[in-house]
Amino acid sequence: MRFENIVLMVLTILGVASLVRAILGPTVWDRILGVNLLSSKIVMVIVVFAFLVNKSYLLDIAIIYALFGFVGIVMISRFIEKRGEL
Amino acid sequence: MRELIGNILIVVALVFIFSGVYGLFRFKDFYPRILISSKVDTVGLITLMLGIVVKSGLNFFSLKVLIVMVLFVITNPLSTHSIARSAYNSGYKIKKEKSEKL
Repeated sequence: MRFENIVLMVLTILGVASLVRAILGPTVWDRILGVNLLSSKIVMVIVVFAFLVNKSYLLDIAIIYALFGFVGIVMISRFIEKRGEL
Repeated sequence: MRELIGNILIVVALVFIFSGVYGLFRFKDFYPRILISSKVDTVGLITLMLGIVVKSGLNFFSLKVLIVMVLFVITNPLSTHSIARSAYNSGYKIKKEKSEKL
């Protein structure tokens, strides 16, 4: 077992722990914060896995995931702030 | 030698990310949670990307890893600011700290 396998396991456990906050958060903004942290953990997992199998095109998925996560978080928080008017 | 420095940087990044997730369960209010978790998480991602760049050497792969890092450093504080602004404008008040009576 290489070193990167252990790193992937630890990152997956931390991602599940940040998803628990998104499930049992008291308010709406706690849930959005948990989803934001989960998306950043997924970007890290994709980069470490692309280094593990040594394929360069897997990093494009990380770029697309970061951009769409950013746009989604900003749109959802504006939607809650304006109370459904965007 | 380069392998060892990269592994040490990745372990330091895991310690940073773990302290961010621990702070997510430690605090009771929303504003301390968003303050701690977002900042420590960005620092952890920068350290992990630098560890992978050191382990991989200078080639096409590490250039794309640096592009991911710069893009994430720009967008993550913006999304955190958007969440906190949404919570403040919607009327979620900041709780006053109770002073301890000795």
